[in-house]
Amino acid sequence: MSLSCRGMSFSYEVGGTQLPALRGVSFELPAGGSLALLGASGAGKTTLLQVLRGLDRADSGAVLLDGVEPDAAAYADLQREVGLVFQAAELQLFAATAREDVAFGPRRLGWPEADVTTAVEAALDLAGLPAGDFGERHPYSLSGGEQRRLALAGVLAMRPRLLLLDEPFVNLDPGTRRDLVAVLERLKAAGVTLLLATHDVDLAWSLCDQRLLLADGRVEAVGDWDFAGAGGSLLAANRLREPFLVELWRRLGRAPESAPRTAAEAAEALA
Amino acid sequence: MTASPAPTTAPLIDISGLHYRYPGARADALADLDLQIGEGEFVAVVGANGSGKSTLARLAGGLDKPAAARRALACGHDLLTEAGRLAARRDVGVLFQNPENQLVAQCVEDDVAFGLENLGWAAPQIRRRVDEMLSRFRLEDLRLREPHLLSGGQKQRTALAGVLAVPRRALVLDEPTAMLDPAGRREVLAAVAGLHAEGLAIVYVTQEMDEVVAADRVIALERGTEVYSGSPSRLFADTGLVRRLRLGLPAAGELALALAERGRGPVRLPLTMDELLAGFAGSA
Repeated sequence: MSLSCRGMSFSYEVGGTQLPALRGVSFELPAGGSLALLGASGAGKTTLLQVLRGLDRADSGAVLLDGVEPDAAAYADLQREVGLVFQAAELQLFAATAREDVAFGPRRLGWPEADVTTAVEAALDLAGLPAGDFGERHPYSLSGGEQRRLALAGVLAMRPRLLLLDEPFVNLDPGTRRDLVAVLERLKAAGVTLLLATHDVDLAWSLCDQRLLLADGRVEAVGDWDFAGAGGSLLAANRLREPFLVELWRRLGRAPESAPRTAAEAAEALA
Repeated sequence: MTASPAPTTAPLIDISGLHYRYPGARADALADLDLQIGEGEFVAVVGANGSGKSTLARLAGGLDKPAAARRALACGHDLLTEAGRLAARRDVGVLFQNPENQLVAQCVEDDVAFGLENLGWAAPQIRRRVDEMLSRFRLEDLRLREPHLLSGGQKQRTALAGVLAVPRRALVLDEPTAMLDPAGRREVLAAVAGLHAEGLAIVYVTQEMDEVVAADRVIALERGTEVYSGSPSRLFADTGLVRRLRLGLPAAGELALALAERGRGPVRLPLTMDELLAGFAGSA
């Protein structure tokens, strides 16, 4: 599913005052592409994800899904194919067992029970919580990282074509982080469009085709933009840092804009 | 269990044979755990999700009652008694992953002042201490902001400022930088390093391997038991153990490992970019 954001603005109303959270946000994400949403705390990343998911309505501008405008008849169906995994995973967990929690979404979509069961097993497996071991566990008996993965399974069970994730790597041990990256790579390979908000500049660098830098609700930079030079000072101004490999390339006297994306690629280049 | 080198003075946190199980759980969250933290020591705690790190943090801070222990003392207070746990909470500050449950006041500066007001400090001292904390955590512009209008990272900095406003003998932090942007992470790490330099004992639970490097000692948990206690460099050099515990290496170490797999790379595993670059220069 492609995503097109056109001049989108959104304000929160608090006690009679308007607090602008997003100002004229525009970007294009092609079907099967991946975009990392970066920005200092408070820049508007979570708000942007919630508006994209349709949980909040933009004050102006438009969000097109597969080129379809919001007022078109087909839009509501397309919105059902957009999944959002919240930053606080426990907000999405409420059933008595992991299996029941993951089944909620597909059931609400009206799928036949047999399809629900298949989707639940596949989603739990994909999220690293095999149904045999975790299916009957109470969600609140799971550790923070396991709850995070259960929330992801709940969204994956609905087979989204556009997956939005808000800080998906927080609270995960490195091994689980690696597993989650593998899940996202698998989803990418299957053509799922990914948009994830993260503070992890290294994962934003290795995992995503594009990076969008949001500052005070505005798009400061978007695309496969140069993290060195002017890009580097943009990062610093937004309380971010250069990816490890970009900084390393710069300190080795190599062109930072050609820095490799992963440790394996870096080792190939250096060996 | 790995034998840990005994601290030379009486440990500030002295726990032996600690057991804890959550109601309805099938297994112990902590099983026969030993933990000694010396005065002024900075100990990192790592382990897979569900290994017991957060449980240990809560118990060390006197927030939950151990199921059993041969000995459980925090700053001299007996964690097995309710009076001991209450006293421990005064000397041991605890900062959690999620600041939502820790902010209580109508605005940032009131929240930071909260603990001091409870202790009955005089108003001028409270004001001075609050100003110091707001400055330390870059919260001056937000001092009158209502907590629900703060981002996750801003909330976390406010909670940390509030915990540290009260002078402590030990500080337990449970993934304190998890929700912060890189600059916020640097600020918290700098603040923690400063506290360490001032002699505060620090128990630092983290999933970020780069943050372990600064610790005097790292403890690794597996299914509620300590399976490693020693230097960060010795832990990271044991790639088999690292993999088994579902940990990782600091970024510099990951690259060095990838290079070693290709027959190149520094002899000693680097833990920081400076060490990595020095290794390259050395082998040039």
